[in-house]
Amino acid sequence: MMLIGLRQCVFGYAGVPIVQVDDLQLRAGQSLGVFGPNGCGKTTLVRGIIGLLAPLEGAVQRASGLRFGYLPQQRAMGLDWPMSGIDAAAMAISAQRRFGWLGHAASRLRPHLRLLDVEDLAARPFAKLSGGQQQRLLLAGALAAEPQVLVLDEAAEGLDVRSRQVFLSALRQATAGGLCIVSISHSIEDVMALGDQVAWVHLSEEPGQPNRVEIISPPAFAERVLTTRQVL
Amino acid sequence: MQLSTAVLSTLLLLPWASSFAQTTPTTRRDDTDQATQDLLKDIDAGAAHVRESNPKPEDPGRTGRGPERAGNSLLDHVRAEYLPTLQVVWPALLVAVALAIAGGITGTFMVLRRESLLALSVPQVVMLGAAVGLRLGWPTLPPAMVTVAVALILMAWCRRRDAENLVLPALYIAGVCLSMLVIANAGAHLMEVQNLFTGIDVAVGERQAVVIGSILLSTGVVCALFWRRWLLLAQAPAVAELARLHPVRWNALFLCLLATVLVLATHAVGTVMVIALLFLPAASVLPWTRRIPNAIRASAIIAVLAVAIGFVLSVEMGWPLSHSVGGAGFALFLLSHSVVQLVR
Repeated sequence: MMLIGLRQCVFGYAGVPIVQVDDLQLRAGQSLGVFGPNGCGKTTLVRGIIGLLAPLEGAVQRASGLRFGYLPQQRAMGLDWPMSGIDAAAMAISAQRRFGWLGHAASRLRPHLRLLDVEDLAARPFAKLSGGQQQRLLLAGALAAEPQVLVLDEAAEGLDVRSRQVFLSALRQATAGGLCIVSISHSIEDVMALGDQVAWVHLSEEPGQPNRVEIISPPAFAERVLTTRQVL
Repeated sequence: MQLSTAVLSTLLLLPWASSFAQTTPTTRRDDTDQATQDLLKDIDAGAAHVRESNPKPEDPGRTGRGPERAGNSLLDHVRAEYLPTLQVVWPALLVAVALAIAGGITGTFMVLRRESLLALSVPQVVMLGAAVGLRLGWPTLPPAMVTVAVALILMAWCRRRDAENLVLPALYIAGVCLSMLVIANAGAHLMEVQNLFTGIDVAVGERQAVVIGSILLSTGVVCALFWRRWLLLAQAPAVAELARLHPVRWNALFLCLLATVLVLATHAVGTVMVIALLFLPAASVLPWTRRIPNAIRASAIIAVLAVAIGFVLSVEMGWPLSHSVGGAGFALFLLSHSVVQLVR
């Protein structure tokens, strides 16, 4: 089932085009890795895909009632707020609830905490956990919110080997269940691990022109990057 | 955070220290209007009446009932000193307790959201509005609400341009200076504006206290009920945006709740107590609480405790209530941080 479709879309701010994508379709159970150098417009593209930014040109089709989820980087969070592991994990569910009250929805967290092996961290202070533990807690919460499209913003960056394995395994299991993942990453490894297709943002050589997005398969991406060492 | 809290505490103490150096209790007779002087006479008359109807206990050496005599002395002392005072200042105390609860809750999020400078600036803006009202012969609350609304709009505009850290200190200075300039050369108004800074214990009416106290408590409850929203907006604003929660509106709501507490409480009990109860309890509990519900509960309890200690100091030492509460709050803040450092 197609969830999101982009055709000849240009995204930018205040009328200034930043990034252009010709044809992109996202289906249930698919993963898209967004790769490119700093400042090329990866976040702009993703904001356009998920509907936070209207296109300057072109058309975006989205299935009605589409539920989005977003997994923030644990490094971007302020650790001076007193919260337990489960408070951090519950943020995604609370966003869907009226006034943020969890009620019975809190019970949806437990299976995902168990899946990501962080159930025993629920009562511990979030600030005292390692980066990997924090990120797994946040992923448990994001998955518990039952999104149809989940956006990961460099979510696996900085994780230790074990955390990374658990993290990616949970994401593959979720995509097998129909979750569509859009993952922004600087890491070729992460893009290869998760992506069914890669949105490679190339910097424009002409000033004033938007950066172009190339939709490429992971094997082709790997060949171009690893064999020819072409990155930019 | 410890350095910033220490700096902010020093800023809070400076007005308290400077005004206390002048030893100006809020009930100083020669500076108050006739109605207040009449109330003060009633307090003295009531205290004298209680002393007459409760004769001094006999010499313990005669009766041999030492500890029981001490207990009776304490009760007599409470009856003689506290009850008459309570009969007169209970409206101000009611507002102070309501402010303690609402301020403890709202102040916790204000500190976590790093909006403490807002709490310093807005009461000064309230004073500016009140000064305008005094000069024009109007009630002070409506102009104060107007000036605060204008200030909030200005802050929201500057926030979108990342210039909030510039406008807040400017508003603080504008409030402090312009409020005095507006009523310059108008002696009676000068004292009224000063009373708005320190608060005047006997000037809060009964009906006013019930209305303001109810609104303050309601504001605190609403703020507490939305704690997961404030957490989400601070920690994962993109998640809130994706859930179509309109973070700008929720942030505006929090500002309105905070402004409600600041405006009404400043109008009733003065700037000093408002700033003290909004900031110090939260700063005291945050180093050792692990979850937000615990933090807001503890903050409210510490705030009420500061009011209680402040009231006792005010009665026993003849100190102004607002400054006594602020001093008690600061002592609790120091105690809390000292214990945390020792435990760690």
